[in-house]
Amino acid sequence: MEKNNLIIFNQNKKAAEKNIIIGGIGLAIGIVVFALSYMNSVVPTLVIGVIIAVVGLVFFIKGSSSFSSLNKRFKKDVLSKMFKELIPDIEYRPDYGLNEGTVYETDFLKRADRFHSEDYLEGKIEDVEFVSSDVKLEERHVQHTKNGTRTYYVTYFLGRVFRFAFNKEFIGSLQVLESDRPKSRGYKRVKLESIDFNKKFKTYATEDITAFYILTPDIMEAIFNLEKRHPGRIGLSFHGEHLYVTINNNKDTFEIKLFREIDDSMIREFEKDLLVIKDFIMTLKLNNNLFKKK
Amino acid sequence: MFLVTTGGMIGIILGGLLIVIILWYIGVMNSLRQLELKVQEAESGIDVALTKRFDMLTKMLQTTKGYAKHETETLEKVVKWRSGIPADATLKDKEEFFGQMNKVAQGINVVVEKYPDLKANTVFIELQSAIANTEEHLQAARRLYNANVTRINTIIVTFPKSIVANAIHMERKAYFEAEESKREDVKMEF
Repeated sequence: MEKNNLIIFNQNKKAAEKNIIIGGIGLAIGIVVFALSYMNSVVPTLVIGVIIAVVGLVFFIKGSSSFSSLNKRFKKDVLSKMFKELIPDIEYRPDYGLNEGTVYETDFLKRADRFHSEDYLEGKIEDVEFVSSDVKLEERHVQHTKNGTRTYYVTYFLGRVFRFAFNKEFIGSLQVLESDRPKSRGYKRVKLESIDFNKKFKTYATEDITAFYILTPDIMEAIFNLEKRHPGRIGLSFHGEHLYVTINNNKDTFEIKLFREIDDSMIREFEKDLLVIKDFIMTLKLNNNLFKKK
Repeated sequence: MFLVTTGGMIGIILGGLLIVIILWYIGVMNSLRQLELKVQEAESGIDVALTKRFDMLTKMLQTTKGYAKHETETLEKVVKWRSGIPADATLKDKEEFFGQMNKVAQGINVVVEKYPDLKANTVFIELQSAIANTEEHLQAARRLYNANVTRINTIIVTFPKSIVANAIHMERKAYFEAEESKREDVKMEF
């Protein structure tokens, strides 16, 4: 990545952060002045407090909005190019995400009351097609209090959802989950030979033989290693011609961070997050000749 | 109001205990029968996979015949049952059949190395891929069978469930063994 480009982004980022800090401080001072004046019934300082708070709010909104547009520009100008260099057959659409239908095809993620997805990636690695995006799933909670009802949302999934082409023919469906349970009926718990694997993952299949066919000792070991390399709760669902993988790690990927300089370490982190896709394809041997469509 | 004597109370407790024991006995007996059925199902899965593999290897031998007649005929002789697995074949027989097919597959690999143009033959490549697939099916069937055998054998040898197993004459099941070296040898390279 060009150094000059990075310097400009960091300068703009610092300006946005400056506005956010000034705005935050102004807002805090304004509120304190307003509260003290209100308690002591001093009208002139009360007005000054309101003015300071409003000016603070304006700075804060301005800073947040320029940070947000900077983030979008960074994804479009920098990340898109970087991803193309790392994986030539890739398309990155930061504002777009996997649709709900694709996410729920995993058949173990609960339907959300509020659904959000972004950072859509689509492409091919070693002839294996994939799509992925960041997904946030929230559940609505209603609390009844003496002052009325309060509605709030609780996030139960924040992480990434991947869909890979899986061309090995098998009967029924299979799920390997660290948490959660299959949503459809017809799944039975399957115990495999590996005690460690059974301890770490729960395996559900509509047919016992499918579990043993797909989860060969090599693949079980590969899943184990993937789980170690990628923190968070992992879920795999083999269904039809696809393998769905979810990582619930409470992380929003490909986002620049407030008050942290865009440096090589951050760029490497983005690279690592992108190459998770390649890691899954290679480790699970999805590029194996046996798996390829005839 | 009913008054229960000490004797009556003991009788009720013993009766209750007896019911619990009977229910437990039935439960264990049913789970053993169900597991035995699963073992039988898994064994038939092995039969299907062995037959599939046998068919594929037969096709493969026919393809290689044109290239190395003598070698393939020698390989054909290795197989004891030229028409597939007999209905009365025991698990030991199937293990032997499995071993023989491994020898054939190894032999084919040697033949292929001698004739590079065979390696480029489209039919041969497709058959090689199909054989690798049947090999995976066979391994899955074998592992499922052995996993079920482990489950039933654990119940059979563990007290107090072993009492029920003995009472219904349930014996420990044999594993479907495959020597590691043999399995390694038949791996098809792509």
